[in-house]
Order: sequence, then C-alpha cells, then structure tokens
Amino acid sequence: MKIIVAIKQVPERDAQVRIDAAGKWIDESGLQWALNESDAYALEEALQLKEKNGGEVVVVSAGPERVGTTIREALAKGADRAIHIDCDDLGSRDALGVARLLAAAMKPENPDLVLTGLQSEDLGLGQTGVIVAELLGLPHATLILQVEKTETGLKVKRELEEGWFQSIELPTPAVLTIQSGGNKLRYATLMGIKKAKTKEVRRVTASELGVDGAQVVVLERIALPQKQKSTQMLPGNAKEAAATLVEKLKFEARVL
Amino acid sequence: MTPLALILAEPEHFSLVEKLLLIALTLTSAALFWRRFGVVLDKILKSRKDAGFRIFPLWPRVRDFVWEVVLQAKVIKQRPLAGLAHAFVFWGFCAFVLVTLNHFSLGIGLGFLDPSGRFGRFYFYFAGAFALACAAGILGLFVRRFLVRPKWLGKKLSYESGFIALLIFLLMATYLAAFFVTDTSPAARVLWWAHTLSLLVFLPIIPHTKHLHLVLSPATVFLSRGGFSKIPALDGDEDFGLVAGTDLTRLVALQAYSCVECGRCTEHCPAANTGKVLNPKEIILGLRGYLNDLGPKSDRPLLGKYNPQEAPFQCTTCGACEFQCPVGIEHLPILVGLRRGAVNTGAWEDDYGAKLFLALERGSNPLGMPAAERDKFIEKAALPIFDGTQEYCLWLGCMGAYDSKGREIVADLARILNYLGVSYGVLKKEKCTGDAARRLGNDLVFQQLAEANLETLAQAKVKKMLSICPHCVRTIQEDWKDYGTPPEIEHHSEFIARHLDRLPQVRNQETVVYHDPCYLGRYREVYDEPRAVVKAAGQLVEAPRSHERSFCCGAGGGLTFLGEETGERVSQVRAAELVATGAQTIGTACPFCNSMFRDAVAGNEGAPQLLDIAQLAARGLPDRGVS
Repeated sequence: MKIIVAIKQVPERDAQVRIDAAGKWIDESGLQWALNESDAYALEEALQLKEKNGGEVVVVSAGPERVGTTIREALAKGADRAIHIDCDDLGSRDALGVARLLAAAMKPENPDLVLTGLQSEDLGLGQTGVIVAELLGLPHATLILQVEKTETGLKVKRELEEGWFQSIELPTPAVLTIQSGGNKLRYATLMGIKKAKTKEVRRVTASELGVDGAQVVVLERIALPQKQKSTQMLPGNAKEAAATLVEKLKFEARVL
Repeated sequence: MTPLALILAEPEHFSLVEKLLLIALTLTSAALFWRRFGVVLDKILKSRKDAGFRIFPLWPRVRDFVWEVVLQAKVIKQRPLAGLAHAFVFWGFCAFVLVTLNHFSLGIGLGFLDPSGRFGRFYFYFAGAFALACAAGILGLFVRRFLVRPKWLGKKLSYESGFIALLIFLLMATYLAAFFVTDTSPAARVLWWAHTLSLLVFLPIIPHTKHLHLVLSPATVFLSRGGFSKIPALDGDEDFGLVAGTDLTRLVALQAYSCVECGRCTEHCPAANTGKVLNPKEIILGLRGYLNDLGPKSDRPLLGKYNPQEAPFQCTTCGACEFQCPVGIEHLPILVGLRRGAVNTGAWEDDYGAKLFLALERGSNPLGMPAAERDKFIEKAALPIFDGTQEYCLWLGCMGAYDSKGREIVADLARILNYLGVSYGVLKKEKCTGDAARRLGNDLVFQQLAEANLETLAQAKVKKMLSICPHCVRTIQEDWKDYGTPPEIEHHSEFIARHLDRLPQVRNQETVVYHDPCYLGRYREVYDEPRAVVKAAGQLVEAPRSHERSFCCGAGGGLTFLGEETGERVSQVRAAELVATGAQTIGTACPFCNSMFRDAVAGNEGAPQLLDIAQLAARGLPDRGVS
C-alpha cells in the first residue's frame, strides 16, 4: 500500500506570535517551528498501516527552506521518502491554492491512500484535505481516529459530537483527514535521524507543478485575540458556592 | 637449632623426582589458569575500544588506586567488619608475594631468603603476622558467608567460596606451622608440599570464579573512567549506546569480569529494595553471561535473555551502586548505556516515556506546560530579566518555573539575593536542560536541548549561573560539555552557605532532618553546605542513611515522569525513614525530592512540614514576599 501523508510546518505551540507590519500575516522572524499536531497523528497512522500491511510512506510538505527540518523529522520517524514543494507564499495562498500544490505533487505517485491532519494549528481551515480529495477525484472521510485495511478497501472510525462515533467503509484509493489522539505518537530517535539523512527528499517548485498563485479567498487582516478577564467571586459557604459553580459551569460556560 | 627457636623450617634437600614433580605441577597449574584466563582476556581485548579513553592525567588514577586498592579504604569504610577482614586477607596476600617466590625457588634449589639471616628472619616474622591476620580474616569471612549469610550474597550458598576460604586458611596454617618444626623433620617437608599444593590448586580456580577479581580489579580501579556517572560520548554514526555485544567496550567487559558479587550495589539500590526487577549486580553478571556465551562480536541484543528490558528503566540513577562498588565497576554508564541502546534505536516503547520525549521535542519543558505559564510567574514574582549586566543568571528549570513549590523556593532565593544586594536575572526563555532525556538515553533530544540552551546562554553573555535544582546543575556543568562550554554554575546551597554570615538568623529549637539529594551529594559531593544552612535555622537531625549513603527519593533518572508501577514506592520508603526520625521539618535541597516527599506524606496526620533550605534561610529576612 502506497500512502502519502501531507504535513504542514506550523509555529511551535509555545511561540509568541506577533503580527507583521502589513497586518496580513505573522512576523516569522525568531519563531520556532514544529510539525502540525494532527499531521503528526496522520503520519503515525500511516506508519502503523505500513508496519501492518507493508508498503511505502511518502510525506509531502509545502513551504520555504525551513520546512526541511519538519520533513527530516517525519523521515526520522519512519517515512520512506519525501517531496518538498518549495514555495514561500504559503501565507497568501488560500486552502484551494495549497490543495492544488499538494494534489499536483501527489497525482503522479498514484497513491492507494492519502492522509492529512484534520486541520492546521495556525489557520485552522480544515479544508485542505477535503479539497485535495476533490482535485484527485477520490472519495474522502474526515475526523478519522482509526483506519483498518479490509479486503475491499478501508474501514474507518469517525468522531462525531458528544462522544458518538461512526464506522464507515470506503474503497481505495481514498483521502482521509485524521483527528488527533487516535494513536500514541512515537518519539524521534537518533538512529531514525541518522537514517533520514540517506532518504530521498525531492524538491519541486510551484511552477514545475504547473500551479499558479491565484486566490479565490483573499485574506484581509489578521488580529490577535482580545484578552479578557472575567473573574467572578462566588459568595456563600463552600456548599452554596459549589452549587453556584456547578450551575455556572453548566449553563454559562457550558463545559459540563 | 632447637624446635622452639621459632624459625621458619625449610626442607633441606629436594630430590630430582621432587623437583621434576614440582615443575610439572606448577606448569599444569599455570596452564589450567591460562586456559580460562586467556579466554577472558581475549574477550576483553576483542571488545570495542573506548573512544574517549585517556590514561592521562595519571595522578587521579594513582590516588584512587592507592586509596581503594592498596589501603582498601572503600572496602573498609562502607562495610567495616567484613571490609577489615577482607583487607587483612588482601594485605596478607601482598606480604606473601616475596614468601611465595622464595618458597618455589627453594623447591628448585634457588631459595634466596635465609630464615635465620637478619632480613629473612624479620621478613618471615613480618609475613607471619600478616598470615595470622589473614587466617583470622578468612575465618571471619567464612563465618559471615556460611553462618550469618547476609542476603546480599545471594540465596544460593557458594561452595566454591568455601573451598577457596579453606585453601587460603591452609596456606596460612601450613606457613605458620612451619615455625614450630625443624628443617630436618619430615613434618617440614609435609608442610612445604601442603603449602605448595594449596597454592597450585588455588591458582586455576581464580579465573573460573569471582576470585578473578584478584587479578582484574586492581586494573579495573586504575583504568576506570573516573568522575561519577561519566556517560561517554557516542562514537561516530553507528554508535547508539549499548545495543549488542559489538557495543561493549573494553572497560565494560573488564568491569563485567571484575565483579566480585559482594552485592553492595544491590544492598543500596532503591529499585532492588522496593521490589523492582532491577538488580544492579545481576545487570553486571548478565553482561558477563552474555560475553561468556556470545562474546564481544555478537550482534544479538544485550537486553532480552541476559537482562530484562525493563530493568535498566527502573533505575533512578541515584548512583548508590557505583559509589559503593569496591572493584571499580561504573554502573551508571552501563545502565544509561543500555537505555541509550533501547531509546536511540526506538526499541523502548513506554507510554509515559514517549509522552515525555514528545513534550521535550515539541515544547520547552518535561512537564508539558505552556511557556506562557513561566512568563506569568516571572511577572508575578517580579524577577528581573537577565540583560548581561547582572552577576548571576538565575536558572529556573522546570520545577522553579512551573511547580508551585519550586516557585516558592525560587521566590525565597530571590528574596535572599535581593537582601544580599547580589544582582541577578532570569532568561526570557529557557528550555529543559535535558536531564531526564540524558538519563533515559535519548541522545537526540538531549543534544537538541543542550545546543539550544548553550546558544541562548552564549547570546545572553551569561558568565555565572545559579540554580535551585541539583539535576540542572549537574546536567549543565557536566553533561552539556559534550556539546560546548557551559558557564560556571553553582547550586543555591553552596551560594547560601557562602553568604550565611550576612543573613539575619533566627535559630530556633525546630528539629530539621536533612535529606541528601543524590545529584547534590554523590554527584557533586556537596554535603556540608546545606547542613550549615539547616544548622543556622534549627537543630539538625541526621537520617539513618545520610551523606554518601543517602537513600534516593525516587525521582531521578527520568523516573519522576515514568511512574512507578511495581513494588513499593521509593519515595514512600524514604519519606517514612525521614518521618521516623521524629523531626518537625524535612529539609530538602532539590525541588524533585521535595515534590516526591510532598506526595509521599500527603494525607498523613501530623506529618512534618517540607521546606527547602532556601526557605529555611529566608525565614529571618525582614520583608515577606517579593515586592
């Protein structure tokens, strides 16, 4: 089974994000980068499928030079080879624009399965994987926690709301967007990193793929979330306060 | 000569048959010795070379050799009775070298010591005194092994040890008895041959048993890496730690064959004492078994048949084993080496371990906390940011930045620094020192963290550092050296002790039992400074196991992040010991010890309070709270 995993490099979770002078993207200087979390789970799923059923895992990532470190990390964890789509206009491309790049790079590979993370931690659009499926003309399923290979195709477990799950079967080739938490992630090892050095990373550019930068959706402005503090002191003794707290958690915060 | 002249009797004449017999027997004995010893030596020499090994400087090697081998100081100090008995046997053997040479020379007609001559008479008396001590010593050791039977010697009685004891006793007895017979009596001849035969039987037994330590351990002590828990740098692209036989180095092989199976390591091991699989002695014997069966060229895994994989991962790296070992075995590089082999190749699968490594790969600290929490604490505690003008960079570490108790310790240390007028600042961003990754054998994560931190510190132009955590101090000062030159760093106990006379002291009657953290005590040899701080604040109480024999809190070696699933909890065993001293306060000098004990005594009625020495020292300061 040939599996392609689309991965994205995003700012590290602890990064202090600043907005750049134009107000249209973040200031990337001094930022540290990491593999998008749900993409890490997509990669893990691919590696486990390969370990069970054999085959090949190819990672595809779009972005500038710095994306190389994240590609190496994926290779170190066990991917067999990589395609690096070299472009530095990722911030100005919409989901369709990025999906076009990915699909163009994937198409000649004729994969049996394409996995992506559910959504990216920076933009959070949650569309890229689905549009890739459309562009490749393949069936897709989203929010996947488990993938099992069957004789005819795949059996997958989808996450629904409120603790409900859905089990569906679909034929291959197919595209799945993977939800975080379905598997336990593996750690990168020294041996993996050393082996990764000898693995193939093929670099292609947008123009080589024949994809232009045309936008359908134009990003107007980005802004940092407003900080707001709303501390409430609950009056009364412990029992009364606890009752009020439960009330508020249920009906105001809606977390219970 | 009268029978009671107390001069060593020597048979006057040896027939040709006797001489030929002696030569034949000696050659047979030597051949039997070599048949096994040659194999052992070959396995050691065919092991991989120790890449970073340097014989120079010689002075520390000579010093350790004299202290540990010649004077037997470690053997005696850590087990006085058995140690002294052993020392007498050892010194007896040393004194007998000349006697034995003369003994065999005599048999072929070339005796060079005259029993009635001035030097001969003196030397035979001198050796006689040692023979008495040696005989008494071996008798004592025999009684200990076969009648007292301490559990550290293993459940199985070692009959070979009994036989060896008998031979040593015979050697001494036949020597001493010769003072009470005459040269011409047949008894002199019988004693001479009995002495000779005992020796010739003894020799080939040596390499077949743990008595091999007689030959190897002086070399092992002399050639040891030195320092404490010195983890060797990986050697090239193919070295991932101790994976298979081909990774065993000469030092490891030498140490494996030197083990005398005394069990001191196991006696002091927190894992072995709380029902875990790990038994440091068995780890070493497992490696020896591997070398015996498969040799140093095998690519079969070291973990599995010969040592269970879980064993090295139950080690808290407290170092009690390495500290105790009388024959120079360095357990920690071996235990960490086995972990490296499993982790660097991905063979170790552990949910907690993977979670820890991922937290370190993706974030800044092993606790998996967002770095913003650290920023909030710095702001709240009004800690100045290091800008290159201050004297000290105060390193927070994960506990100081994220743990509630660790933060209290940092805040009190800051009050002390403010009071003393010592300038300091904290870094805007810190990454974990990589202590847990280093001890768990994840060289990839450790290298990334060490390099990132070294760069940050160099950019900030940090010269001197101060930390509340002995793990940070050790890792920064020693382990980072593989990747650069770390700034000078000291533990806050050393800093406070140095400034104690300038701090207002309110000494009261409160009793404080001080717990030696492994990474401050055995790793850094800092014992007196924290005690001085405790004494300035209250009455110091010592725990039954203290100083270099302190018992671990259970946190080290990454175990605080792994959880402890089997047996009793190390932390509870140690906390119970500290509580039993009846002290009102448990004084610690490590935020990890503090957090382990916090959990261990939680819910206990009337449990002593837990305070770091910085908190004790800050009690006399005029202002409460940091402005």
